[in-house]
Amino acid sequence: MQLLKKTIAEGITLNVIPADKFKTDRISVNFLTPLDPEKAALNALLVKVLSRGTKSWPDMKSLSRALDDIYGTNLSDYNYKRGETQIFGFSLGMLKSEYAVDDTDIISEALRILSEVLFSPALENGGLRTDYVEAEKKNLIDDIKARINNKSGWALERCVEEMCAGERHSVSVTGTIEQVEKIKPEDLTKHYKNIFRNCRIEIFYVGDADIDRIYGLMKNLMTPLSDGVKAPALSVDVKRKAENEPKEITEDILAKQGKLVLGFRSGSVLEDPDYHMFKIFCELYGGSPTCKLFENVRERLSLCYYCWASNEAFKGIMLVSSGIENTDKDKAQDEILRQLKLVAEGDFSEEELENAKLSLCNGYKEIYDQKGSLEAWYLGRLLAGREDSPLENVDKIMKVTREEVMQKAAGVSLDTVYFMHGTEKADAAEEGEEEDVSD
Amino acid sequence: MFLTNTVFKVKENPYLKEKYYYIHHKSGLDVYVFPKKMSVSYAIFGTRYGSIDNKFRLKGDAEYTEVPDGIAHFLEHKMFENEDGVDTFKRYAKYGASANAYTSFQLTAYLFSCTSNFYENLDILLDFVTHPYFTPETVAKEQGIIAQEIRMREDRPGNVLIFDLLKNMYARNSVRKEIAGTVESISKITADILYRCYNVFYNLNNMSLCVCGDIDPEKVLAVCDSVLLASPDIEIERCREPEKPEVYRSRSERKMKVARPMFDIGIKNTDIPEDGTERMKGSAVMSIVSDMLFGSSSDFFNELYEEGLLSNNLSLWSENNRDFSFFTLGGEADEPEKIFERFTSHMEKIKSEGLDEKQFASFKRVQVANTVRGFESTSSIANGFLNSVFDGGDILDYADILGKVTVEDANSLIRRIFAERNYAMSVVRPVDN
Repeated sequence: MQLLKKTIAEGITLNVIPADKFKTDRISVNFLTPLDPEKAALNALLVKVLSRGTKSWPDMKSLSRALDDIYGTNLSDYNYKRGETQIFGFSLGMLKSEYAVDDTDIISEALRILSEVLFSPALENGGLRTDYVEAEKKNLIDDIKARINNKSGWALERCVEEMCAGERHSVSVTGTIEQVEKIKPEDLTKHYKNIFRNCRIEIFYVGDADIDRIYGLMKNLMTPLSDGVKAPALSVDVKRKAENEPKEITEDILAKQGKLVLGFRSGSVLEDPDYHMFKIFCELYGGSPTCKLFENVRERLSLCYYCWASNEAFKGIMLVSSGIENTDKDKAQDEILRQLKLVAEGDFSEEELENAKLSLCNGYKEIYDQKGSLEAWYLGRLLAGREDSPLENVDKIMKVTREEVMQKAAGVSLDTVYFMHGTEKADAAEEGEEEDVSD
Repeated sequence: MFLTNTVFKVKENPYLKEKYYYIHHKSGLDVYVFPKKMSVSYAIFGTRYGSIDNKFRLKGDAEYTEVPDGIAHFLEHKMFENEDGVDTFKRYAKYGASANAYTSFQLTAYLFSCTSNFYENLDILLDFVTHPYFTPETVAKEQGIIAQEIRMREDRPGNVLIFDLLKNMYARNSVRKEIAGTVESISKITADILYRCYNVFYNLNNMSLCVCGDIDPEKVLAVCDSVLLASPDIEIERCREPEKPEVYRSRSERKMKVARPMFDIGIKNTDIPEDGTERMKGSAVMSIVSDMLFGSSSDFFNELYEEGLLSNNLSLWSENNRDFSFFTLGGEADEPEKIFERFTSHMEKIKSEGLDEKQFASFKRVQVANTVRGFESTSSIANGFLNSVFDGGDILDYADILGKVTVEDANSLIRRIFAERNYAMSVVRPVDN
């Protein structure tokens, strides 16, 4: 499986990932732009407003039913960041026509809808509809506020915010509540008229349709931008080492469990030719049920249910997170740091190293069964200026040595400790827990 | 065609372009093999034993045994430890598999996915699940870990809402109890009780193996032959408390650290067919009705969204199995009571007007397409299959069953269960202001 690239127009690329084993096709149109505190909220709001309705399907119900009519095609909008790049856009999940009971050309029909979503939104007086903009502003603000509902996600976000304060990476992809509030419908219309022409546009297709046909369809889809776009330079400011003594932040929140997040500067980013060595370290330290963190913090000390390391490959951040009793915070933190030191000192067996390699390679090979994962892999690679496939990495990973893993572990430095201290009495819910239900 | 003899039964669905091989293994285990050319091969080994099976006896026993809540889930955790001290994850790691397990209301499942060494990994799966090893020390250690898992769930509003709703809908059915139990209930679990439950429910006659991937059925059979010993033929009697048709109580509320109120509305259905195929048909009707009445293209959702009463799609769940049957719809809203009022009045309207036949056909087609999508990945096939065989169904039949459902089936369900006495709601409100 080889990634194929074709230029649609200046700054607009079609990436085809051939795959014939699926029952659906996937197309996504991704807009890439530098993460900018002044524009993040506008981009976030824009995808929501464009999803509200188009010229031919002016409201969500008619749009949704049009998608239903082509065998329940999924149209999703999204907005996220990688490093200091904001990526927003739309994806289509479409049943292959061979499963249709009539002769509907599902891809063409779906692209007709996507084309309207992108280029022919529902308008009033030449601008985006005021009622849609205002309603989606409220919804976006509700979504921003609702982040607190997910406590472990909140703790991770708060750690990164504190750790990267003053760095562009800390900018939220939705903007702040205040930024969303002050957007006027005419601001968004103005933004809409410019933004596509000022983004790098990466289109992905995963499926087995004829490539020339897909190319023709995409060229047609992008007709309004056929004279090309001005793709901005996408960069990220990487701090390889924590610069000061670790910051310690504790916040009280009404919850039963405390959440500990350790934010590290990982010292490695995807652009590095030896990034795969760091990935093995990560797997060995905190990436699988045989890793150091799982084996020690959970299984040996019985402190938690989960304790994992995750990493942001573009900014060079590694986060270790765990849900624990408040009183176990120091114990857990000490063990997490001690295990890191032990890996850097080479205190792991050949078997553990081999297991980490096999686990990572298995994960890479599994990517080939998921369209979304395939796309995420290659989109990430192109952001880092590379094109290597998951399988090419498998070969490299198997050759990594113990010393290389130790060296990557030694390159990790603690930047910020965030602790969400749960203030709810843990047994509170149990009271009156079982009312008498016998009749 | 790699099939060399006829010990397997083969079932095929030409529309889905899928087929599977079945054998009732001499050990008592039902084995299902779905050959599929994918990178990932997936195996799931399950027992029909979930959180609701907390009171049971073997045929011939005088008394029922009642065990602490959360024991099926606790047992699932403990199965990963082995007598030689090498935990199961380590055994899998040697062959590069990614392993996991889960416990639901009705089953416990052990699974792995891998991209090589499938049969070696299958050997491990069958071996560790058939060899329990518990000691007081390992049980005590697990109590600490699971207590944190329970605390984590208690902090998740979505999880709290759904269990509050189940407690509202059901007076006695054990589906109202948290799958992992409570910190208090799991403190009563001992190694002896674990063995007692294990010996009843981990009998191969009560279990199934489903594998999917680039796999040879004959080789699967060879691994079964070498690992599995025949289980004694037993009959398990599960105590099911009688449940009234109407909900136990219509409302509950609690406060948590959330941004704005969240709600789950439930519609209870106690008229559950005895026959597995009929239940699948019931599930098919319910999934179309759920999507048609509450999904992203529904009148109900779109009206509330347009009015600003809802800001996101409703999360929908329809369930129809031998032990419980319901619809739920949940979301965030400033005024959950208003949503509930609109829900009841909308349902009255639907009940009197009936569903539109043409629209019904269109929603049916969407559900068929969604079913086809479910056959894209080895994990969704194997998981879907295990769940359906334990309930007497077969997912390979589901698309055809969907195709045969009529608007009259849906209207009669709606007339039967859409009534105030069957509705309940749980609400979580923010702590501040």
